[in-house]
Amino acid sequence: MTVRTTAAVLVGRAVRVAARLRGGGSAIPGNIALRIDPGFLERTIAAIPDGVVAVSGSNGKSTTTNMLAAIIRAHGLKVFTNPSGGNLPQGIASALLSEVSVGGRLDADIAILEVDEGYGTRLAELLKPKTVLLLNIQIDQLNRYHEPDRVAAMLARVAATSTDGLILNREDNFLVDLDTRIPAHSGRAVSFFGGVPELVEPASHGVASADRFGDAGAKPGSRPAAVEVVALTGSRATLAIEKATLDAGTTSASAGSTDAVAGSPEDRTLIEVKLPSRGLHYALDAAGAAATARSVLGDRFRPELVSQALDSLATVYGRGEMLVVDGEQIEIIMMKNPASLQLNLDSLESAPEQVFLAVDEGTPDPSWIWDIDFSALDHVDGVTGSKAWQFATRFGYLGIPVGSVDLDVRAALKAFLALPKPATGHKVMILNYEQMMGIRKILGFKELEGGGAA
Amino acid sequence: MSAASTGALRILHLFPRLLGLNGESGNVEILRRRAEARGLPVEVLSYDGPDDSAVRSRFDDADLVFIGSGPVSAELIAHPLVVAIAGDLRALADDGRPVLAIGAGFQLLGQTIALESGQVLEGASVFPVATRHGGTRVVGDFVLDSPRIGPIVGFENRGSFVDVGPHGTLGRVVYGRGNSETPGEEGFWEDNLLGTHMHGPVLANNPALADSLLDTARLRRGLEYTDPAPESLRLVDESARQARATIAASPLSE
Ligand SMILES: [Zn+2]
Repeated sequence: MTVRTTAAVLVGRAVRVAARLRGGGSAIPGNIALRIDPGFLERTIAAIPDGVVAVSGSNGKSTTTNMLAAIIRAHGLKVFTNPSGGNLPQGIASALLSEVSVGGRLDADIAILEVDEGYGTRLAELLKPKTVLLLNIQIDQLNRYHEPDRVAAMLARVAATSTDGLILNREDNFLVDLDTRIPAHSGRAVSFFGGVPELVEPASHGVASADRFGDAGAKPGSRPAAVEVVALTGSRATLAIEKATLDAGTTSASAGSTDAVAGSPEDRTLIEVKLPSRGLHYALDAAGAAATARSVLGDRFRPELVSQALDSLATVYGRGEMLVVDGEQIEIIMMKNPASLQLNLDSLESAPEQVFLAVDEGTPDPSWIWDIDFSALDHVDGVTGSKAWQFATRFGYLGIPVGSVDLDVRAALKAFLALPKPATGHKVMILNYEQMMGIRKILGFKELEGGGAA
Repeated sequence: MSAASTGALRILHLFPRLLGLNGESGNVEILRRRAEARGLPVEVLSYDGPDDSAVRSRFDDADLVFIGSGPVSAELIAHPLVVAIAGDLRALADDGRPVLAIGAGFQLLGQTIALESGQVLEGASVFPVATRHGGTRVVGDFVLDSPRIGPIVGFENRGSFVDVGPHGTLGRVVYGRGNSETPGEEGFWEDNLLGTHMHGPVLANNPALADSLLDTARLRRGLEYTDPAPESLRLVDESARQARATIAASPLSE
């Protein structure tokens, strides 16, 4: 402990309280703490006995981090994790501030951290993860990273920092053979997760993996999975978990040696898990979390605790979430990127009777909506946010009628909520992250006024 | 009348799989829907490489050519495939058939592409332009003023410069960067040739550009619209006008 650390913690906490009171700015305290004591994050993290698990990828990081933290906690470990979306260095430092002692000590056995793919290389150097879980590389946030190849290269560098375990999605074009494209590390166990072809192939837009050109290697799905989604009904999935122990250090000194592991049915335990919502992508997230827990815990891993942990897990903020407003159910569909929107649209059971869409500058370039199959919708009641007219144009060409376009979010939301309760199903809102936060806040005010948001 | 009959307008879509990262296939969809809304059937011929030999043998049927953008890795794979059909593409362009080329596709249809490694690739020489990769990547809203059609609005995303010499451009840059280090002009637009780094579905916000390409294509063939101004297009054109106004009022970049 140093005076500098104490100062960083105290000032950071004071700013955190002030930021809370003003209602926002969650990364600011971390920023300030890092400025006072640049080594704060690195040192505190390095002192965690079981080390760091880094979770990265284009899509599903928050959901999967949440699942993995729950599974590890169910095994009796104390987990430090960063809240949904707080995946940049400042965000992680902010999360630490709320949990450390004034001397900078953290009471945790293990850290499970969602890591932004753009900051992955820098964060990996800082955090020195023992284990890395990579979920997918999708056409995501092109305005920030521009090209899937670049994201793939960034994630390869994160993967290369893992010392004990590397867990990869075998259904992803880029990740299926990533282990063979990074320097080997003796003691690093590589394992995969995926789904049976009967589930993966018919998914109407596959698993939305970005196209890979040029150095195409192994075919997606071709690697044996430590955890495989074998059945999916609504928001319940069955996972088959390899029993063969995969203790760090005994499996693969050379990358790619997991190819030899073949899972006969009697070597697998079948468990049923509850997902945050319908959709194969959630089932794959659960498989990734289970495979990572298996890799991290080795002999201590108990498959039945995966079911138990996921059953009791609250839905991650805003993904497949059901809000109750004035006694009426509203499903929130997050429009984070093309893949998440397409998968969520595909998982709608029928065209929603009432749909609202709000997208703002948080999605600077919505060009990709021209690659989205919107046939799951037969109309849209209201469109709002600064990108509203670009969506209206897209819907216009598709012949999907749009009730009204109003750039004033509050007015548009009010009009949508005033629509009579749907005769079937529930209201649906398709929102980008920023609009989801803003609209929750608007509905929250309503709760304070006694409107009854749940 | 079937779309394949002689009365259809034919769009040749080059490398839809390799070059189509940013929703750019939306441009082909917009051209098709605008023509069909006016009673002119459209046939889209997609060409992804030598395996599509049936389409290759029909290049000369094309009334309009579209090529989109993609990551540098895809551009490098597309390069020899583009060079292999360069003669055909120049013949189509020389014959007055409109060509819309975006980003990497625009670069590949130019004369040369200087990569950051220093290597220089020969392009298809459909456009008399030269590209140099490098500089700071610019990403953000893009607003132009075109002497031909007025304001043009879209999204800029590029890590390269293009030298168009003394040739005509799509327009003067109002917001964004454009062809060169210092903001000035954007893209290339002369006669039937239109190239730009306005990424994504550039025609979505700018229906006048789409109509200009369609007019060049159909007048060459003597094809008529049965309903030149249908109500369905009036509605989307109003949405596009509002989209242009919203972006132009407060453009943003990284
Ligand atoms: Zn470009």
